[in-house]
Amino acid sequence: MTNDALAKHLTGLPVRLLHRLAKNRVHRHFRMGKTRLIQSLLSLPPEQRSEIETTLTSFLPEPPRPSKPSKPDRAAKPNLQPDAPSRPAPPSRQHQVPTEAAISTQALLEGIGVPPPQPFKPDDWQREAINCLATNDVILSVPTGSGKTYVAIEAMRRAIEAERTVIYTSPLKALSNTKLTEFSQLFGADQVGILTGDRRDNPQAPILIMTTEILRNLLYDAASGEIDMRLDTLGLIILDESQFLADAERGVVWEETIIFAPAQSRLLLLSASIGNPEEVAAWIGSIRSTSCHLIQHRKRSVPLRAAYLDPSGKLAPFFRTRDIASGKDFALHPETKRLFANYEDRTLGPRYRR
Amino acid sequence: MPPAIHPVDLLRVLRHQRLTPAIVFLTSRRACDEAIGSFEHRQLPIPPTRSTAITDVLDHMIAEYPSIAGHPLIPTVQQYGVAAHHAGHLPSWKIAVEELMRQGCLDAVFATTTLAAGVDFPARTVVMTQSSVRKNRNIMELTVNEIQQLAGRGGRRGKDYVGFVVVTPSPYIDLGPIANGLTNHPEPIDSQFVVSYPMVLNLLKAHSIDHIQPILEKSFAQFQLNQRADAYETKLDDVETQLETYGRRECADWIAQWQSFSLAKKRRSHHRRKTQHDPPEISAQLAFLTPGRTVELSKAHAIVLRQYRSRGQGAPMLTVMRSGGRIIEYPASAVTAVIDEVIDLTEARRFPWCTPQSLNHAIETLEQFPARLRRLPIRVDQDGADNPVLTETLKDEFPCPTCPSRPACQKDHPQALKLRQEEHRLTKTIHAMRTELWHRFQQHVEVLQKFGYLTPACQLTSEGDWARLIRINHSLLITELIRMGAFEGITASLLAGVLASIAHDDDRPASFPGRHPALTSTLGQVRKIAHSLSAYEEPPLLRWDVAAIADRWIAEPTLPWNELIRSTTMAEGDVYRLLARTLEYLSQVYGLKATHPGLAGVARDAMDLMRRDVLQELP
Ligand SMILES: Nc1ncnc2c1ncn2[C@@H]1O[C@H](COP(=O)(O)OP(=O)(O)OP(=O)(O)O)[C@@H](O)[C@H]1O
Ligand SMILES: [Mg+2]
Repeated sequence: MTNDALAKHLTGLPVRLLHRLAKNRVHRHFRMGKTRLIQSLLSLPPEQRSEIETTLTSFLPEPPRPSKPSKPDRAAKPNLQPDAPSRPAPPSRQHQVPTEAAISTQALLEGIGVPPPQPFKPDDWQREAINCLATNDVILSVPTGSGKTYVAIEAMRRAIEAERTVIYTSPLKALSNTKLTEFSQLFGADQVGILTGDRRDNPQAPILIMTTEILRNLLYDAASGEIDMRLDTLGLIILDESQFLADAERGVVWEETIIFAPAQSRLLLLSASIGNPEEVAAWIGSIRSTSCHLIQHRKRSVPLRAAYLDPSGKLAPFFRTRDIASGKDFALHPETKRLFANYEDRTLGPRYRR
Repeated sequence: MPPAIHPVDLLRVLRHQRLTPAIVFLTSRRACDEAIGSFEHRQLPIPPTRSTAITDVLDHMIAEYPSIAGHPLIPTVQQYGVAAHHAGHLPSWKIAVEELMRQGCLDAVFATTTLAAGVDFPARTVVMTQSSVRKNRNIMELTVNEIQQLAGRGGRRGKDYVGFVVVTPSPYIDLGPIANGLTNHPEPIDSQFVVSYPMVLNLLKAHSIDHIQPILEKSFAQFQLNQRADAYETKLDDVETQLETYGRRECADWIAQWQSFSLAKKRRSHHRRKTQHDPPEISAQLAFLTPGRTVELSKAHAIVLRQYRSRGQGAPMLTVMRSGGRIIEYPASAVTAVIDEVIDLTEARRFPWCTPQSLNHAIETLEQFPARLRRLPIRVDQDGADNPVLTETLKDEFPCPTCPSRPACQKDHPQALKLRQEEHRLTKTIHAMRTELWHRFQQHVEVLQKFGYLTPACQLTSEGDWARLIRINHSLLITELIRMGAFEGITASLLAGVLASIAHDDDRPASFPGRHPALTSTLGQVRKIAHSLSAYEEPPLLRWDVAAIADRWIAEPTLPWNELIRSTTMAEGDVYRLLARTLEYLSQVYGLKATHPGLAGVARDAMDLMRRDVLQELP
């Protein structure tokens, strides 16, 4: 490709795609505007440049579009022909030809509302988790908003009844504060303490909230036999948001905490859905005195649906189906594809931007 | 980047479709603040009863956290029922917004995605405007985990029949990754185990070095490495089984034996031929074309007097004696047959290349030869390496030339060697996987020994015994600063300033006007030491503007929070986090009170002075 031809292609791309091309090739590309981005892409060494040309062809599955800067009127006024998408649909991972008709926006929005109050009834997985904790360590890997806190609270209650203490850790101080309020309301302010790097509030309380780093430090001190807190009565350690195990900087702290956790304390790991909870459970089971029980499911307690909102204010279903399917066989809604293609056309280059 | 749709229009649609309350995730703090700002003077107010409810909740919150009072966003929240929630705000403000959301007072919260876990409140709808996010100076696509963590906030248990994710475009969006993230299985998590100096010191405080390896083996890192190593072990078993099919040979390690034999062969023949690449039939002959050899040349016999290489091409040449004593030069390729006759020649250094007696003897012998002589069959080795003479000369060093297994070895060797190399590679990889963590631990041990925190027997020195209490990033720098006396006679404010600049790892630009000589010179010293340690520990940013903020907050104990904030371009939430982290660092220094009472006292003073106003609202 000649410089001019490549420049033309690049000018025709949305900034987003330019950034994608520049990723790992152009230093600090995210700081650049479109013009500078294109310049830097054009001045790359030959082998990187040919990579870009290859990638480019995958962006443009059809032969290069005839719309050249010499004829800007069509792209400049896309609203005049909103029903005529001028470029192929965005690359979507469409693995199957859908057979059912795509749903309507109206059907998508059906059933919004507030359910009447119902008496609280724990889910089976919640009860299972609480019961398991009597004898085993437990990993709970369920979707966001399912009710992991209930398990934590019930487990704490049981530990306290058995005259054991509880440590609850969260990755962020902000979350610790929220939990302090929540647990104080439930158990009474005198029953809950909090430790931070520089402060100890009510450190003798049976329930202690802290960040995972603070607990790791306590465990260091306990190991060298110089601790000013009793860990021998510690019955339960709850690690909230334990998907932080995968955090590049802090993940090691979760590992250390689990390795050094006293043998007599039960571990309860609360985690959002992760890809390999079995592996984590197998690991914990392999280093602790009891086996580690995994409780997981991926079903949301409140069903989730997806919609696409066009900048014009038009709302369309995101997928062809009403509920979000799980697995790879999804299909975007045709209306959403059309609207998004139009949006990309409008945002092609600075000169065409409204 | 703001979304393409105007925030006011966005909220209008959400309200109209009963999709509120909503959390709107935007790409930057600024986009959040601007979104909120754009509500002013719009005809979109909420009913007075809701405004009153908001005021009630806020009053309640203010009673607990006074810093919320007078927050510039309060009027917008009261009038429009929308709020912003991001790391630029004080924690107390974020708590207030979360509480308002929990009580159902708000229609929308504009938040950033930087800390998905930090937004711990649900809504009916989550609005997503991006498929990638800025992380450590790079634009990264959101992972499946992250998208599900964000989208998962949609739909409140007990308050919604159904939750929504609304995707609306901005320059940072692509539908593919979002669709993928919503439907796919989340990524597996990988161990991020790293060995740090405090870890080494604390482990060696409690355990002797002999017990460390089993402890490291308990890590998730080792668990995952073992699983991969196990997979390699299976492969290794397979390779070993294949190697066994070759059966028994004369020597114990025939592959190595044959390998060195053929290498030696190659080296010698290479040496002989120098840079030559003669055709195989020539090079096979060459070994026989020694002085005294009889050959057939243009249909007559001749006797070789010498072998040499032509000057220009380096082609093999012969000087021969033909009938009648004619001495002629030929290229070796002119030889049509090698005869099984060698006569005795005494070689000489110059023409005619042998002694006159030898020459006469040769002439005589040649005259007496019958017309037909036995030709020597010459085996041409296609590899060019199997030269009988070479093999002969290697006989003393290697058993191979005369070994009965020789044909089998020669045939099987290439494949067997490949397998053997694969076996070595696998064994090495497996070994590396099993010992990697231990290796990294030992590297850290060596550094700590070099600096005198550990004895050669890997026990803590008296220095190591206190150094292990510094369990934060840049621990080596901090303990070295203490040992070098860099903090001797330091004031509380200066100590806080230095620790703040060590603690702060964000390079988001900011400015702070006040800088004073003491701070500048202390930081200069710290920078030098940090640089000298850079082979062992990544140096911190050591920003002086950041140091100056902490320094001023302590040096002027009556300075109100708002004034401190006004003096810097840093966001309020960032200043708060900076000072909170500095407090943590100070408390670690305070933890050295048994061994460094003076310094610990200064740290204590700094902590007392620092904890005031906003900084004592929350634990
Ligand atoms: N069995 C139940 N029946 C009805 N509502 C429940 C039940 N269990 C929990 N809830 C409610 O579900 C909501 C969400 O729970 P919770 O905050 O514990 O979620 P979570 O799993 O911790 O989510 P996150 O991943 O955000 O931390 C709470 O309001 C809680 O009262
Ligand atoms: Mg939770």
